[in-house]
Amino acid sequence: MNSLRRFFARLANLATRRGQDERLKEEIEGHIALQTEENLRAGLSPVEARRQAMLKFGGVEAMKQDYRAAHGLLFVENWVQDVRFAIRSLRRTPGLTAFVVITLALGIGMTSATFSMVDGLIFRPYPVPHPNGVVTLVSTTHDSSFDDFSYREYMDIRDKTKSYEGVIAYADMEAVGFSAEPAVMPRIKGGMMVTGNYFHVLGVEPRLGRGFREDEDQVPGRDAVVVLGPAFWRHEFASDPSVLGRRIRLNGTEFTVIGVAPDTFPGLLTFGHPDFYMPLAMARVFSTNLQKNFFEDRDDRELNVKARLKPGTTLQQAQDELAVLAKNFEDEYPKVNRSRGAAVYTQFETRTREDDNWKFGVIFVILALAVLLVACTNVAGLLLSRARARTREIAVRLALGAGRFRLIRLLLTESLILAALGGLAGIAIGYGVIEWFHSKESIVFTNELPASIPFHMDTRILLVSLALSLLSAILCGLAPTLQSTRVDLVNGLKSAEGDVPGRKRLWGRNVLVVAQVSTSLMLLTASFLMARGFQHSLLDGTGFAKDHLLMTSFDPRLIQYNTAQSQQFYKLLAERMRETPGIQSEALTQNIPLGPDGFDGVAFVPDGFQMAPDRENFNSTMDTVDEGYFVTMGIPILRGRGFLTSDTTDAPRVAVVNERFANHYWPTGDAVGKHIRLDSRAGTSVEIVGIAQTIKYQSTMEKPMDFLYMPLAQHPVARMYLMLRSSGDPLQLVQPVKDVVRSIDPNLPILQTRAYEDLYVNQAVKGPLIAIDLVGAMGGVGLLLAIAGLYGLVAYNVSRRTREIGIRMALGAASSDVLRLVMGKGIMLVGIGTVIGLAMGFALEQLMNSMLFNAGGVDILAYVVVVPSMFLVTMLAAYVPARRASKIAPTQALRYE
Amino acid sequence: MKEKTDVLQGTLALMVLKTLDVLGSLHGYGIARRIEQISGNLLAVNQGTLYPVLLKLEQEGAIASEWGASENNRRARFYRLTREGRKQLRAETQDWEQTAAIIGRFFQAKAEDLS
Repeated sequence: MNSLRRFFARLANLATRRGQDERLKEEIEGHIALQTEENLRAGLSPVEARRQAMLKFGGVEAMKQDYRAAHGLLFVENWVQDVRFAIRSLRRTPGLTAFVVITLALGIGMTSATFSMVDGLIFRPYPVPHPNGVVTLVSTTHDSSFDDFSYREYMDIRDKTKSYEGVIAYADMEAVGFSAEPAVMPRIKGGMMVTGNYFHVLGVEPRLGRGFREDEDQVPGRDAVVVLGPAFWRHEFASDPSVLGRRIRLNGTEFTVIGVAPDTFPGLLTFGHPDFYMPLAMARVFSTNLQKNFFEDRDDRELNVKARLKPGTTLQQAQDELAVLAKNFEDEYPKVNRSRGAAVYTQFETRTREDDNWKFGVIFVILALAVLLVACTNVAGLLLSRARARTREIAVRLALGAGRFRLIRLLLTESLILAALGGLAGIAIGYGVIEWFHSKESIVFTNELPASIPFHMDTRILLVSLALSLLSAILCGLAPTLQSTRVDLVNGLKSAEGDVPGRKRLWGRNVLVVAQVSTSLMLLTASFLMARGFQHSLLDGTGFAKDHLLMTSFDPRLIQYNTAQSQQFYKLLAERMRETPGIQSEALTQNIPLGPDGFDGVAFVPDGFQMAPDRENFNSTMDTVDEGYFVTMGIPILRGRGFLTSDTTDAPRVAVVNERFANHYWPTGDAVGKHIRLDSRAGTSVEIVGIAQTIKYQSTMEKPMDFLYMPLAQHPVARMYLMLRSSGDPLQLVQPVKDVVRSIDPNLPILQTRAYEDLYVNQAVKGPLIAIDLVGAMGGVGLLLAIAGLYGLVAYNVSRRTREIGIRMALGAASSDVLRLVMGKGIMLVGIGTVIGLAMGFALEQLMNSMLFNAGGVDILAYVVVVPSMFLVTMLAAYVPARRASKIAPTQALRYE
Repeated sequence: MKEKTDVLQGTLALMVLKTLDVLGSLHGYGIARRIEQISGNLLAVNQGTLYPVLLKLEQEGAIASEWGASENNRRARFYRLTREGRKQLRAETQDWEQTAAIIGRFFQAKAEDLS
């Protein structure tokens, strides 16, 4: 305790040092005066009396040192001195300081921004108390390691497992028609159906009202209650606390507001933030699969299941338990659970299996770290040449008795200050990049559900940035520091150019330049490859006509239509649109290609295809369309026919498949006329009547995929898009559409009307451009840094060899010889860097191909363009200082220094 | 940065505490004289070493100081023992006596005592 007290006393003394020095001086004088008087009394002469007194007191200066050491904190004082000195010496070279700070800021900013991506996509814990206990339960099949569970399966899991404190389930967030008052036309909001124990098990306490009770989720259709999301409550109800007990309408049904979720809980999803939560028991009001009975059918798998592990239960125990349960399912319900397993995933596993977005994040982090590495090596190079220029200063300090450790500390303080400034500016840049991402939100999320990009400059990222700054301080500060304090004193004092270039020293500099050239070459290759892959995918085309198309969508369930009413509405809609002038053709489709929502999947068994015995069925993506679809979208039917008005409910079930589907399952014969059975071997038989051309369905960069179309009349869907092919500007059709819909039912909301091409540009062009911009920016920054680094190195070499060059020229060397002499080294370094960069770029291309594009092969053009231009630019960086060297007048050079 | 924690400084601190305990409030020179009188040579040439010790004790809260007038009417800083210091003195006196006793026994011990 005493030592702690002393520490604070000493810390306080730092501020009042001058006063304390005064006090000591006065005390010493008093002391000596008293001793002198005593000596006088003893009979000494005045002079001798004082001399003896001082002798007896001992060395004043040494004592003062001791006193100060005891008095303040010497190391803090020294450090403050170091900082002052470092700031002073950095201010002497403002250009260099600014360059170093900007360089580091770019590296750190890029890295922290990309870290925030990876954090948001993978690592950030669920916004609930004790997030580590929350695990995800998934159903697994041959084709998918991330399938959902059905309601019945969920009930069994909830009741028959013992590993969890609670098991929750929720459906995907879906579009729900919301109106605060009955008379108001509904607007689309994002609602999520959850189990009654959802908030309770997650440990989320509503900020207002209550969460669901377990009994509110037991009787289908009984408890129409709703919990609002925090942002929705703020925007829609102006944070009004009296919202509790209010009745709102969701899809036309009255719901009572019972609670508001807290601000800390925007939802469990990575991107989406539900506007409100409804109990699963109300499923009939919302979009569940119309073909199935949500509460009864064990193969109506629409639920995500999560659970909270009991303390002390391991993941392995939970996994084993669930595996047994899945086996029981398989035995009990062989028809729907054949070869179907189950798995328990941690948050990390869940986020990395759910989708592939995180891979972009990881690639960007790797690229950003490469930029940071370039920045650090560059700064290290600059500091190294600066340290060399300071050889004499260091030598003088060492000669005067400064300890090596003290000097190292001094120089490291400098790089620490540089890194701190760079880190601060880097955080600003990172913040800017993240904001830039957020400004792209409207491009990334094109559907109407509430979502945001989960990248934030939060405490976690700030800490990472801080750590990066520290790391870069050490990275770029240590090598120059250690080297410059290892000065040969005699030579160092003799001349400012005291270093005899040993092999070892130059080796370090050379490695720096090679590293820079190669990493920036790799980055540029990467961005070029991405741009090329993207361009390719655009040039390939989508396989359908994108222009002159108007899209709009409807969901008759929003005004409580049943299936038959919906079908009737769509029939009327199509008929009346056909009579409207200015419309060449019209179509209805459940989803649009390259649209905001994913396509549904369909399970089937193809006739005459040799299926592995343990396989239940195959899966394909599918769409439900009407008879006008293929014509309107300009998708050619290669064989057979498209859908006809005669394909009604009563007619035999038919389907159209795409070319890839046909070749996949019937590689030899003609697929037209063959049958598939839906769901399983015993399922409904559907005849394949036509083969459509394979188009791009979900992304312009996708691989060709199996696809199946079903006619709307035989496969009713509530929510449909209307696509209109216009002869003129598609937007001129907006008003006619409104009139037609009004004439059928004035209450039906018209959702998202826009020109299809507009959506396409957003989705297929602007989206990927974000990624390309980012990598391109990184490559550009890297190249800039490499140029600066190379220029610095050659310029430094020239200035160091000025005298030598002068001598050579005096002895008759031509300026071209000098140019060759100085450039030779630069060429060699760039050459080595290019070779390494090529290898790295090639490796990165393989990685990108396997992770993203699946393009395969090597894009030669990328290298043909990038490598020579990179080579030229870097050569220019070496040429400029070399040229200056060749212009040196020998007389001047010999006099130099 | 390194503290002087050798025996001399430790004993010096104890001497200062004891002196102030016996004589009450005293200035630096007075303390030095007193220690000199009793210990003989310890501070003979190096009275100055006293001051860092005084500062350390003051920071620890064992002694307090204030300005006052010395016998020759000079301004001088007077040190006195605090309650904390008294406690410390008691504890350290005990420690010291114990240590001294043990060391004493060791020095007196002869080979036959240990066999």
